[in-house]
Amino acid sequence: MLTIAPFERLTALMFRTELIVALGTIVAVIVERAVFAYWSAWRERTELRYRTLVSRALAGDDAATSALVDSPARHRLVLAALLILPLIEDRDPERISATRRIVGALSLVPIADRFLRSRLWWRRALALRALGLTQITDRSASIVAALDDRNRNVRAAALDALTDLQDPTTLQAVVVRLHDRSLPRGRRIAALTAFGTECEPFLLDLAEIDPDHRLDYARALATCGTERSRTALCLWTSDRRAEVQAAAVEALAHVGLDENAARLAIKALDSEHESVRAMAALALRHWTGPGDAAARLGRHLGDTWPVALCAAQSLQAMGPVGHVELQANAGRQDLAGDLARQMLWERQPQC
Amino acid sequence: MSAFLIAAAVGASLFLTAYLVLWNLSQIAMSPVAAVYLWTHQRRNTRRARALVTRMAFRPLVSVVVPAYNEQLTIVESIRALLALDYDPFEIVVVNDGSTDETLSLLKDTFHLLAAPHAFVQPLPTAPVLGLYRSTRYPGLVVIDKDNGKCKADAANAGINAASGALVAIIDADTILERDALIRAVTPFLENSKTVAVGGNVGIANGCRIFDGRVAEVALPRNWLARFQIVEYMRSFLLFRLACASCNGVVLISGAFGLFRRDAVLAVGGYDATAIGEDLDLTMRLQRHFRGTGQRFRIGFDPNPLAWTQAPEDWRSLRSQRYRWRRGLLQVLWRYRRLIGNPRFGIVGLGVLPYAAVFEGLAPLLELTGYIVVLLGTLSGLLSPLFWQVAVAVSVLAGSAITFTAVVLSDLGTRRYMRGRDLVLLVIVVLVENCGYRQLNSWWACVGTYHTLTGKRGWGEMKRKAFEGA
Repeated sequence: MLTIAPFERLTALMFRTELIVALGTIVAVIVERAVFAYWSAWRERTELRYRTLVSRALAGDDAATSALVDSPARHRLVLAALLILPLIEDRDPERISATRRIVGALSLVPIADRFLRSRLWWRRALALRALGLTQITDRSASIVAALDDRNRNVRAAALDALTDLQDPTTLQAVVVRLHDRSLPRGRRIAALTAFGTECEPFLLDLAEIDPDHRLDYARALATCGTERSRTALCLWTSDRRAEVQAAAVEALAHVGLDENAARLAIKALDSEHESVRAMAALALRHWTGPGDAAARLGRHLGDTWPVALCAAQSLQAMGPVGHVELQANAGRQDLAGDLARQMLWERQPQC
Repeated sequence: MSAFLIAAAVGASLFLTAYLVLWNLSQIAMSPVAAVYLWTHQRRNTRRARALVTRMAFRPLVSVVVPAYNEQLTIVESIRALLALDYDPFEIVVVNDGSTDETLSLLKDTFHLLAAPHAFVQPLPTAPVLGLYRSTRYPGLVVIDKDNGKCKADAANAGINAASGALVAIIDADTILERDALIRAVTPFLENSKTVAVGGNVGIANGCRIFDGRVAEVALPRNWLARFQIVEYMRSFLLFRLACASCNGVVLISGAFGLFRRDAVLAVGGYDATAIGEDLDLTMRLQRHFRGTGQRFRIGFDPNPLAWTQAPEDWRSLRSQRYRWRRGLLQVLWRYRRLIGNPRFGIVGLGVLPYAAVFEGLAPLLELTGYIVVLLGTLSGLLSPLFWQVAVAVSVLAGSAITFTAVVLSDLGTRRYMRGRDLVLLVIVVLVENCGYRQLNSWWACVGTYHTLTGKRGWGEMKRKAFEGA
């Protein structure tokens, strides 16, 4: 039988180590769960204790607000969560204003200020979100400054905060960061959406001096543009870049067409670029004015799939003129016929 | 001769021990990486961050593709639950893959389906489509009836063809999605335009109370096989996959739930009907395509449970599943062997695939060999019983420690099993799992390897049952 002395010692050591690690992880599971259970129970108790008071304070009961103000300092963060978190879904201005009043009375803003100066990024992000949700506009400058924070999560939280804050003085800061790729794309769009048509003049001014980023401006105007943007968008439909042309036509679809825009959209149906033709087909969906839009769209039912689909959907949305064109194509035994029949079927009463 | 035998036995034992120690160490090394990923994810994906979807003026249309083959027991409830998902806009494309049971007629009766014209191009080849139905009550519900394609890949491809959305979610017919699963999965696409796919943690629904097509209460199942699979899923989803996700190296988006950019799926040719593990193969092809062409891309992974699935509760179904998984893994390793060690494919070529080949591929074979060598060596008196202690230490104890780490991560990240009784049971399950069940899995993996080498095919059978409490 083979026994090797060093191996023997190593084996014993290994066995003991593994045993300790295994037992250690069991203990870790139990301790972690016990700590969590204690913390959850404490939080639940605290929330239960203050929930009614918070509701009453939000309804304008000064006595309830005073009771909240008298609460121990260690309960402040739980109270902040009870007050502020519902504002993520409930953006009722009255509720926001009542929350802001109570947050002020509870001296939560200095806590947020302290968090904003924290070295821990999640604390800075938390403070930004809270300031934005409660629309504390006298901290707008701090939130705008956080757009240049070294941590990307904090920058993203700052953008969220500006979206929620809706302070017109910060609008420019949001618009000029339209091309800032270090900020999440979706949040940039959400911020523009929140400001809505207020962004439009800035976007148009910037687009004039910065034609290189026309694609971004066109996409932004598709979210928040009005008929005021139409002239610029019509101009961009003849941009040398196909993606700008497509985005401009798409934005025209959002802002609505006039005769000139419709003429350009119909012209764009002949573009050599599929994306431009598809967007042009989409832009014409409500156009029943001059031009032979329906007939032209009908011809594109046999185009490549993305164009054909947009053309069919536009014909469906056009009303009687579009239906006539769809009927005319419904007898075809190809994909165009299938599309026409599908669009007509969807308009029938069973749908 | 005797000296030679002793030297061979000792050499083999030492080699296998070193291999198992290395394997365990690699898994232990993954724990902090996974923990950091989990922690950062939880900090970043706050309730406010998830509200991004509701703050957008235009959200992408999501097509939820549900391949269904003989799913009469669960299909109606699954579709009802899908219709109640928290996301807008989305459509559901059910693909009846030539079911021989009442799947299609149940769908027709319950959801008021009518045969309808529906035009779509078919960039992905599939078995012939026989008909298309649309619901008169739920405008976003489309049912495709097609010939049986003999695999899920074919049905999924038919659904992807008919999908109108820019994003397609591929799920199993018996998958239960969390109500906010689409919101969570869509968010990475909105935040980063380079995202091509997002997978999520999949929980085991056995034992859970299901109400209205949702998991209402999470509990451990009574069946021990399902219990073992729960800790296996925890280990798999919360160690290896999180570690991979932290470096954009996800190579498996589970077939139970995955959200993909449709154009990316079409670019790689959709699901491969010849792949045994079609989900693994598709994710690998996405990795190869985007890394190979030098395009920037991201495959996201949400560590929170986005979906729940039924685990097999009988030996036969489980064995078939494991044989299939093994054949799928080996097939993928063979198909993508040129990526292994190739720096052009980044972390996948230099880290994930070599790890999968050396440890996932070889571990079951070497582990069993180790037990046999040590057992025979000890019984014949060639080896000291100390070698048994080593085998137990590196296999059972270290295995348990690694699984406990996954349990801690699961607990910190998702708080799934909240009852004290479940926690105690979970600890017992982890200990028991390493004393028999894991070794049995290794045996099944060896048989699966043999099937691969001998070219044996087939899916085996999975016994379905209705959801508990449904």
